[in-house]
Amino acid sequence: MRKLNTLNLVVAAVTAAALMTFAPVPGEGQDAPKGGRGGGKGKGGPPGGEQYGPYYAAPVKPGDPVGRTPDGQPDMQGFWTPRFNQAIFEVQDHPKAQPGIGPGKGAIVDPADGRIPYKPEAAARAQELLSKQIYLEPEAHCYVSGVPHAAYQQFGYQIVQPTGYVLFLTEYAHTYRAVPTDGRPHISPNIKMFRGDSVGKWEGGTLVIDTTNQNGKTWFDMAGNFTTPAIHVVERYTPVDTNNVNYEAVVDDSTIYTQPWKIAGQLGRHPDLNMELMEFACVEGNQDLVHYTEGVGGKAKEKGALTK
Amino acid sequence: MRYSAAVIALFIASVPLAAQSYRAPRTPDGHPDLQGIWQVMNTAAVNLEDHIATLGMPAGRSVIVDPPDGKIPYTPAAALQQKENYKNRAKADPLNICYIPGVPRVMYLPFPIQIVQTPKFVLMASEFAHSLRRVFMDGTKHPDVALFWIGDSRGHWEGETLVVDVANNLPDTWFDRSGNFHSDALHIVERITRTEPDILTYEARIEDPQVFTRPWTMRMFLYRHKEPNLQLLEYECNAYLEDAEKESK
Repeated sequence: MRKLNTLNLVVAAVTAAALMTFAPVPGEGQDAPKGGRGGGKGKGGPPGGEQYGPYYAAPVKPGDPVGRTPDGQPDMQGFWTPRFNQAIFEVQDHPKAQPGIGPGKGAIVDPADGRIPYKPEAAARAQELLSKQIYLEPEAHCYVSGVPHAAYQQFGYQIVQPTGYVLFLTEYAHTYRAVPTDGRPHISPNIKMFRGDSVGKWEGGTLVIDTTNQNGKTWFDMAGNFTTPAIHVVERYTPVDTNNVNYEAVVDDSTIYTQPWKIAGQLGRHPDLNMELMEFACVEGNQDLVHYTEGVGGKAKEKGALTK
Repeated sequence: MRYSAAVIALFIASVPLAAQSYRAPRTPDGHPDLQGIWQVMNTAAVNLEDHIATLGMPAGRSVIVDPPDGKIPYTPAAALQQKENYKNRAKADPLNICYIPGVPRVMYLPFPIQIVQTPKFVLMASEFAHSLRRVFMDGTKHPDVALFWIGDSRGHWEGETLVVDVANNLPDTWFDRSGNFHSDALHIVERITRTEPDILTYEARIEDPQVFTRPWTMRMFLYRHKEPNLQLLEYECNAYLEDAEKESK
């Protein structure tokens, strides 16, 4: 039966995708494996290997002047592939390999050293989480990403601009991010959410999105760079032509950083203009929790499990 | 004059859309404007059929308008499977492990749905697990490559009515909490009409020859949320499920 065959394919694809987040932990006397998401040919991330692959898009050639939607907004509609170096693995520069995370560049442009300006106790917490990232990484649990992680979400996203909104539709976990542009205020600080509360406005040719109300359960990446509910993010999306959008975001959280810091990246239009999003059904295909032991929040029994 | 219940049900089933007189405001590209935040006020999410209350599940009347008896026309084997599903529903209901609800179930969950429209899309965003339906309005056909938890929706306008053809459905979703189910042969035609300023009449014709002896149709209303500050929040089901499992240990 054709449909059953395609069903198997889909299940296999989704399972494979979920398993890609699953990397072995080095045992004693072993080198840290370089595998992980986007590890082309089993060699791990791009540094020293292929420059572009499933998670590293090539730059896109300049397009035409930016058009307007019927209600006069700069038109950013379509499918976009983010280019933020290797920020999905770790948002800050990370010259040293970690289990499941190859060495590479992040996307931080301020401070100039490309590192998050943690307060000492926050830096220690990030280091602790990094050592357990295999189990604790929020996407291994299929949580939706927070902001700004959503802007460099793996597999890219589609932007749709109905009147009064900018919508980001992601393939990962088949979710959406709705940003109203009608001037409404933020919701009450009593309500915290994975996606937070985003309100947007156009400043000339730039979409400025202010995000608060995040719940502090998301990370910037796979590497333990955590957030708190006090995070405040201001993103700026500037379409420069029909094929390219410049992105930057200022991240502020005085509870864990010594100063605000800034990331920057680009969005390139997907070359297939007739592309349609597929369905990365994360919860439904997730194999990670099955393999993680109960002690670290998974479902596998401790005895004979992979690691503690 | 006396009508049999069946005749009355048929009458009710066929009249409302034919008798429609309300004309919805238009979007800039000239189509009926269905935008807003909507939600049902019924118990279809518990059971599509007539049902008495059980613990945590309120009673309700069938939303099935065809066949007239309000019952799902299962084949004998499928009827047995539904009973089995009902018995095992605590563990077997895909929503209890936070899977994508599928169509039509996502439309009548007790969570709001926001509809937005562009010339190419009608988007239906549910608060439940950030579930999203993209209804393609550009005349394209269902893909020939894959099945989806949320199916594949392609729509067109017939006057006041948005007609959506839903195919490519995975067999693993249920219609409700009572084990009503389908196979991968499921094919749905939805008809969504703004019959009053603040009411969408939602109709879905369900076809699945592997499970049902004949096509059947459900119909219900979605009401517009009018609270001035309302916006979709989030229900990240799988995260709360993890929390609950940790707490129970």
